[in-house]
Amino acid sequence: MKKKYASQAIRITIITSALFLFSSANAGAKEEGRVNALAGQIIEAKSEAGLLSYFEELKELYTREGKFTDFLGALKALSGKNKAIALGPFIDYYSAYARYSQLKYLEETQGWDEYFSKGNDYRTQIVEYAQKAIDETTVKDALNIYARLLIWRFHKDQEDVFSEEALTDLMSAITEYARESKDMGAIKDIADALLSYNEKAKARQLYGIYVQGVVSSGLKEEKIKEIAYEFYQKGNLELAESLYDVYIEMAMKSYPKEKLLTELLDIGSLFSSLSSGPNDPVYAEKIFKKIEEIAGKDSFTEELIYLRAFNLEKMKAYQEAKDLYAELTVRYPEGTHADEANFKTGMILIYTLGDIKTGREYFEKLSQKEHASPQVISSIYQLGLLSQWQEKYEAAKEYYNKLLLRVGEDFPETAALAKKRLNEIDSGKPMEYSLKTFMDLSLKNETQLLEANRVELNTSPYIVKKDQGVLISSVPYGIESGCVQVEMQYLWSGHIGTAEPSPEQASFNTTYNQRGTKEINLVVVSPTGVIDRNIDMADVR
Amino acid sequence: MFFRPGRERKVMRKIYSGIFLLLITAFIMGMGKAPVVSKVYIRKFDNGHYQLIVNKRPYIIKGVCYSPRPIGKNHEFDWWSDPNKPWITDGRLMKAMGINTIRVYQTGQNPDDVKKVIRDLYNLYGIRVILGHWVGYWEYPCPLYGDKDFQDKIKKEVLDMVSLYKDEPGVLFWVLGNENNYSCWGHVNPWSSDDIDKEPDPQKQKIMRAKIYYSYINSIAKEIHALDPNHPVALGNGELIGLDIAAGACVDIDLIGCIIYRGKTFGNLFRSLKATFDKPVAIIEFGADAYDALLKKEDQNMQAFFLESQWRQIYQNLANDKEGVGNCLGGTIFEWTDEWWKYNESDPQGWGVHDTESNWSNGSYYFDITAPKNMNMNEEWFGIVALSDKIEDGINKRLPRKAYYVLREFWRNPYRKIKGQKPKWTYKAKKTEKIRGQKIELKSQP
Repeated sequence: MKKKYASQAIRITIITSALFLFSSANAGAKEEGRVNALAGQIIEAKSEAGLLSYFEELKELYTREGKFTDFLGALKALSGKNKAIALGPFIDYYSAYARYSQLKYLEETQGWDEYFSKGNDYRTQIVEYAQKAIDETTVKDALNIYARLLIWRFHKDQEDVFSEEALTDLMSAITEYARESKDMGAIKDIADALLSYNEKAKARQLYGIYVQGVVSSGLKEEKIKEIAYEFYQKGNLELAESLYDVYIEMAMKSYPKEKLLTELLDIGSLFSSLSSGPNDPVYAEKIFKKIEEIAGKDSFTEELIYLRAFNLEKMKAYQEAKDLYAELTVRYPEGTHADEANFKTGMILIYTLGDIKTGREYFEKLSQKEHASPQVISSIYQLGLLSQWQEKYEAAKEYYNKLLLRVGEDFPETAALAKKRLNEIDSGKPMEYSLKTFMDLSLKNETQLLEANRVELNTSPYIVKKDQGVLISSVPYGIESGCVQVEMQYLWSGHIGTAEPSPEQASFNTTYNQRGTKEINLVVVSPTGVIDRNIDMADVR
Repeated sequence: MFFRPGRERKVMRKIYSGIFLLLITAFIMGMGKAPVVSKVYIRKFDNGHYQLIVNKRPYIIKGVCYSPRPIGKNHEFDWWSDPNKPWITDGRLMKAMGINTIRVYQTGQNPDDVKKVIRDLYNLYGIRVILGHWVGYWEYPCPLYGDKDFQDKIKKEVLDMVSLYKDEPGVLFWVLGNENNYSCWGHVNPWSSDDIDKEPDPQKQKIMRAKIYYSYINSIAKEIHALDPNHPVALGNGELIGLDIAAGACVDIDLIGCIIYRGKTFGNLFRSLKATFDKPVAIIEFGADAYDALLKKEDQNMQAFFLESQWRQIYQNLANDKEGVGNCLGGTIFEWTDEWWKYNESDPQGWGVHDTESNWSNGSYYFDITAPKNMNMNEEWFGIVALSDKIEDGINKRLPRKAYYVLREFWRNPYRKIKGQKPKWTYKAKKTEKIRGQKIELKSQP
């Protein structure tokens, strides 16, 4: 027995010496030791259990240093050294992985000499090694699935004609794998990879399988919720939502109504646009709908109505958002969010739904409030603006003067805008071109002449503190022009803060030094006409 | 004078034999001198693949867009009549690289000069020419495709071109327009007509314009076919935009010439085209610039990287690749040499300066997309051959860039370069339809 162990030790020493050769150049002594230990564990392994994790760690040790070729050498040195288990599939898969990573590394680091001289050889090797790994295993083996994933990623990266087929193949194989194997880890890995390539539908499908696997393992509601929250915190919203869906389903069967509603409210808030973490307003709205189904609309508190309305506004679901903001003004006229809800109802009605008359009524009602909140002041400004645009200059002056009287030293941004407008009227000048163009396009009921929804406008973040940086950005879509560059003009107006963006700027950074709801107006013009206009609102608190 | 019948026959036989030999010799010599028109057509296989056939042999277009304007000259310079004959030097370099085709956007002013260029390139180097026509895209004030007089005028120009050059053996095919479809979408060279003006919906206006434009192109294609049965007609289209409309209005074109700038690959172009308008495609303009707008320095590797990747995809989609879409005929890279006049074409001083300012932005060319204002495409740096201000053989010295050498290697053994990329997936992989048509070995082209 002793003799046997001695010969085994000698064999391991020989192999690990070979690994030393590949790793010693850059790796520290500690890492070398780890490489050798892993090699020993791989050679000595009596079953496949754990082998994947040994190889994964070995891969990490080599590839993080960019030692891909050394890694391949190390893998070759392991070939045939374990008499109990066939290491071939592992060696082939990781060899393919090494070449795949190497090719990406060469592109990222612009190692062009090697890229051009060896790139095609590496491409061939990726497929050959991965194919061998597939041939040597079955779809019951995780390695088989990983090899197929690697092939798909390789083709997907190249966006070549094989990528679709490779994806179909991968999905077929993993469906079979899910039936045969209890290891859900590989399924999650594949789903994560698909998600990273923005294959959301496929990723969701696999997360669904993963979640079913988790559920069938007999976990309780609270544990599933805990896992869901962990994924939420990691930013994997797709998986978090899949798990929350299961949790909700279980909770609906077992929780009393009050507890269920509290849980739903927590989840909805977590994903809503008002969340401080990552958000998915569409998922949040799905949860709010569920609350409505269970408890009815009347069960919505002031905070919940506001949360839902705000969430819908950021989803650009303006009609629904307006309805809820309006409801808030009726049910809670003196509530915390009443002024904001009043103002936003007016803004949405006028500038996105084209209903000047009703919108104006909201501004009038708000402007008559005794206190001077930012939204009260802004509503007076909007009334002045509408009158000025309608060429009712005396009325406009009246509103602007009223505003200036009420603001005193407060609200300097809105006051500055009102003074600018007054100056235009007093000096007989037309309204500022950008603003007038925006109002003409929004209010003259000629929106059918625009290529609607061709300009995306975003404010980030949309809830800011005073003097906090805000990025306002726009993207016009569908400007097909080929190699002839179309010079676009971006006409910015409204409360755009301290910045003074030029018409060439599609985006800009700004800050606000006054609280309130800030409307940001944009018209995008090409040499041949108006592309579209858009409006967004930021809340400075 | 006495004649013996036997001797007479012998003499006569000798005379006839001599005359016959003379005639045969004259015929053979004549054959050698008379231009032999190339018969070019597109073969469609039973499996839906397409292949360009030139004189009965498969032909893969390995081409470049060719506008050899010297440093200091702009687009008005008629290089066709350049006494320094840049195409002689260029043709030699092209042949050495493996190029078999050039694409020109419009012929020169003097037909004799044009014929001379086509013949030189073909006779000296075996390089064929794709002849294009702008089809009025740059007419002042705009291309009035809905106007009968305009249509007739432009059509006559195109047909005159075809008549003049159709018998040149070096002609490969005709290209009608270059991204003219964008004018239908209203942002470049917009045009209209009374009927279009009456339509209030801008989306419907676009469709109306596209129908008019593609129908007009179709009418030209039909007349070209009547005039010249030996060369296909291509539609020079920007991206795939409008081809759903062309599929109904422009059925008589033989192939689509696509102008595509999608970075590393062409994405799903081949498959999309197959689904929307099942015609063969030549990528008649694509490529990458050789200037890093972020680091503000020339980067030949970046250009070579994009071009090699693009060519790999072109080859994967040629006919008889079982796994590809099989509708690609090849491509012409934009472009052979840099053009120094392009950044500011209205400034003659700038034509002699190799500007490093970018004219446009394209996120698919990702290495330098974070340049200021994302302006990363340097129009004066698209050549796979750079120009030197030193003069050699009367022209700016040619300095092949890395892409020249990388593609030369690629073309020397293209199938090795893309071989092995398709694994033999064994698990429920759905195979594409089987090729039933005649298989043709793809051999390297002249």
